[in-house]
Amino acid sequence: MMSPATLTRRIAPVLACVGLLAVWQVASLALKNDSFPTAIEAIRAIPDILGDKEALINILASLRRMAIGFGVAVLFSIPLGLLMGRSRAVAAFFNPLLMIIYPVPKAALMPIIMLWLGVGDVTKTLVIFLGVSLPVIYHSFEGAKAVEEKMLWSGAAMGLSPLQRLVRIVLPAALPEILTGCRTGLVLALITMITSEMIARQSGAGNILFNALDMGQYDTVFAMIIIVGAMGIGLDAIFERVRARLVRWSEPQFDMPLSFS
Amino acid sequence: MKVVPSRSNEWVRSVTPQKPASAIIEIDRVSQVFQTSTRKEHLALSEISLTIEEGAFVSILGPSGCGKSTLLYIVGGFVSPTSGAAKIKGQAITGPGLDRGPVFQEFALFPWKTVLGNVMYGPRQQGVRAIEAEAQSRALIEMVGLKGYENFYPKELSGGMKQRVALARTLAYHPEVLLMDEPFGALDAHTRTRLQNDLLNIWERDRKTVLFVTHSVDEAVFLSDKVVMMSKSPGRIRQVIDIDLPRPRRRNELLLDPRYQKYVVDIERMFDESDETGSPS
Ligand SMILES: Nc1ncnc2c1ncn2[C@@H]1O[C@H](COP(=O)(O)OP(=O)(O)OP(=O)(O)O)[C@@H](O)[C@H]1O
Ligand SMILES: [Mg+2]
Repeated sequence: MMSPATLTRRIAPVLACVGLLAVWQVASLALKNDSFPTAIEAIRAIPDILGDKEALINILASLRRMAIGFGVAVLFSIPLGLLMGRSRAVAAFFNPLLMIIYPVPKAALMPIIMLWLGVGDVTKTLVIFLGVSLPVIYHSFEGAKAVEEKMLWSGAAMGLSPLQRLVRIVLPAALPEILTGCRTGLVLALITMITSEMIARQSGAGNILFNALDMGQYDTVFAMIIIVGAMGIGLDAIFERVRARLVRWSEPQFDMPLSFS
Repeated sequence: MKVVPSRSNEWVRSVTPQKPASAIIEIDRVSQVFQTSTRKEHLALSEISLTIEEGAFVSILGPSGCGKSTLLYIVGGFVSPTSGAAKIKGQAITGPGLDRGPVFQEFALFPWKTVLGNVMYGPRQQGVRAIEAEAQSRALIEMVGLKGYENFYPKELSGGMKQRVALARTLAYHPEVLLMDEPFGALDAHTRTRLQNDLLNIWERDRKTVLFVTHSVDEAVFLSDKVVMMSKSPGRIRQVIDIDLPRPRRRNELLLDPRYQKYVVDIERMFDESDETGSPS
């Protein structure tokens, strides 16, 4: 038997999705615009896309680039962010660099990178890497800075070397914050993945989407939007599971209501 | 105070003082100036000199903010003093070492480790086999009264429980010198008494050197060979008082002992006097 609270928590996301689709359906019926198919039309187009081998290969290629870009970015950004958080010198060196890169939309760098590296996988993966890196670096940095000094002292007293302290104290202590950065990074990976395929159309989910747009196949466009959205929700849900498992020790124990009335 | 001959031969040191106890920690004119965020200089410790003999139980007693923790950090090697020097076994203290085990006022437990994981951390780091480390750690956890909480995470413990885990964690790797910063501050009277007794037992068995910070006059007199009284602003040593009470000490006997009562009353009076004269600089 599920308690009412658990039940509400389980049903809430489903309700949100159904609600969104309902609003969409009503809006598109009201607008009666050719370029705005109804939710039902869009959903009907999904099996066609997923049944098409070509389309599937495209989507898988997208996912592969995203996974590589995300993975490499995380492996690179966490150590960098942690080092920045624990060493003033490292922070002083990298902070200005990051401040320059931060406000630039990563997709805007694509044309330049394309000139250097071509329109292939490397370029797109690099753009994803750039998009993911910044939030992960930033959160790792903040997490490492916030590590309680006495915890590091305790480690030092037990004979941990500076490197051991970084890996065995700063990393786990900052993990909740790092994973918050990774979650943002995951969403950004999806966004940069699609935008990169919009700019360099050659393969991928974005390629299907924007080609359909050019050809006026609006139900395919919206079907792709649903597919990409579902991918985002799915990846985020998986990530959230992993995250919750890794940082169970830090989760707040009580669901804090907004008021105590 | 006169040296009181001990009735118990367990308390050998006071009866047979032929071999002079050697100094393990020497603090020589240590001062600590802090730069506050408002760019003012704050003299936290002023010209502290103190020698601690090997195997001695020394308490530091003083009002809040008089620099007790800071002094402990300097001995621990976590903070280097603005001037003066601290030595351990004749060697200048330049950083933390396995020979000195801190128990911090803020506990500083590893929140991602369970109680058992925290206590096992030190021994494991020193290469003790997992099975042995676990057995020893479980025994220590039981000693501090946390049996049954081995798999709890720090966030699931009360303040006093965390404090006991911190104590067990440090005891687990057998440092020669214990640097304890108000380790019983968050405990109820009953648990406090129990742990004081346990600490005394461990100390009497292993003869560790203990530097023990506390607010409590009772506690300092009950536990120590020497009580170092500090005054505030700037932190200075006001007086060092030798506590000549027989060992092993039993609480129920000691509380009735007029000598114990006199120490407590005298030290409390000295505090009251310093309250009247002491003013922030
Ligand atoms: N990092 C710091 N920066 C500036 N001032 C500090 C710093 N650490 C301590 N102080 C100052 O040094 C003085 C001594 O602090 P300390 O923590 O050693 O006191 P304490 O005797 O341990 O007090 P309590 O009994 O409350 O723990 C205080 O006046 C405090 O304001
Ligand atoms: Mg203190």
